[in-house]
Amino acid sequence: MERHSDSDITIRPLDISDSEDFINLYADEKVRKFSSRDAFTSKEAAIEYFMSTDIPHPWIRAICLSGRPVGSISVSPFYGTEKCRAELGYVVASDCWGRGIATAAVKMAAKAVFVDWGHLERLEAVVDVENPGSQRVMEKVGFKREGVLRKYYLLKGRPRDAVIFSLLSTDDPLS
Amino acid sequence: MAENTTENHQKSSKITLRTIELSDIDDFMVWATDDRVSQYCIWDTHTSKDQALDFIKNNAMPHPWFRVICVENRAVGSISVSPNSGNDSCRGELGYVLAYEHWGKGIATKAVKMVVSSIFQEWPHLERLEAYVDANNKGSQRVVEKAGFIREAVLRKHRIIKGISRDMVVFSILSSDQHLDS
Repeated sequence: MERHSDSDITIRPLDISDSEDFINLYADEKVRKFSSRDAFTSKEAAIEYFMSTDIPHPWIRAICLSGRPVGSISVSPFYGTEKCRAELGYVVASDCWGRGIATAAVKMAAKAVFVDWGHLERLEAVVDVENPGSQRVMEKVGFKREGVLRKYYLLKGRPRDAVIFSLLSTDDPLS
Repeated sequence: MAENTTENHQKSSKITLRTIELSDIDDFMVWATDDRVSQYCIWDTHTSKDQALDFIKNNAMPHPWFRVICVENRAVGSISVSPNSGNDSCRGELGYVLAYEHWGKGIATKAVKMVVSSIFQEWPHLERLEAYVDANNKGSQRVVEKAGFIREAVLRKHRIIKGISRDMVVFSILSSDQHLDS
């Protein structure tokens, strides 16, 4: 199993020129399996989505391997009485799985978002029960597994059980 | 105590659920202005009749599913189910509040059971009814457990209540779970 030094793995803000890489990323059905994003019907539709949804996202980064985008990671804030928390999500190209890339990206993103959002106390991740790879990533980074939420969300129109994980600004991995 | 479990309208002994009216304002003020009642709620204690009327008109009445809990036709609290949209639309969140003098009589449990027995028919797309209860609010945790909810997890620093982030216990009941009779 090829591991990369963490210095090979970086996260950076998106650029409009990333649109091609994003289209390829989501064209991969292994990546789409647990993603809420459906396959795009056309390249134009994919670019339109990238420009209207990804580029303006409140907190999103490209995950790069030796400078080349291989995935993306985002943090979506909640509002009002829930603004103490935000939800993490990420995708990595399937030919890059198993190399510690997601783990490194999540660690970097978690550190960065708690700095960027001083009011944030809880970063949470909702992982499908049938996605053990992502569950392992959360555990390796130091997220706490809190429980299983039954029929919590719809994936491709079907209700799914999900494991909920959290990392607090005061938790060990960040201090 | 006669119970009409076969009938479809929401009546169980003396407790009934109905939509709120502006004429409920005085009864509403009894629980809405009480710090003991709002302590574990995300809303702040109401401080004026105008504020309360505004809440009833602009919040409670247009709400997708909001009922007052009545004992002998007098409103003693309220109960609601808030829907979600998109990929979260399979779940709805339960909330309720009860005037302090009516605590400890099983009224909240009864009201929750009545909601459970009808909401999944009213909203066929609903799979999951969930409740988030402050970790320190043992009374409400017992209410939902007695109503058949399953305790799933403690979510650390999940909600802000009275200015401080709180650990919340999440409970759920599924449309496919056994429902207890009202």
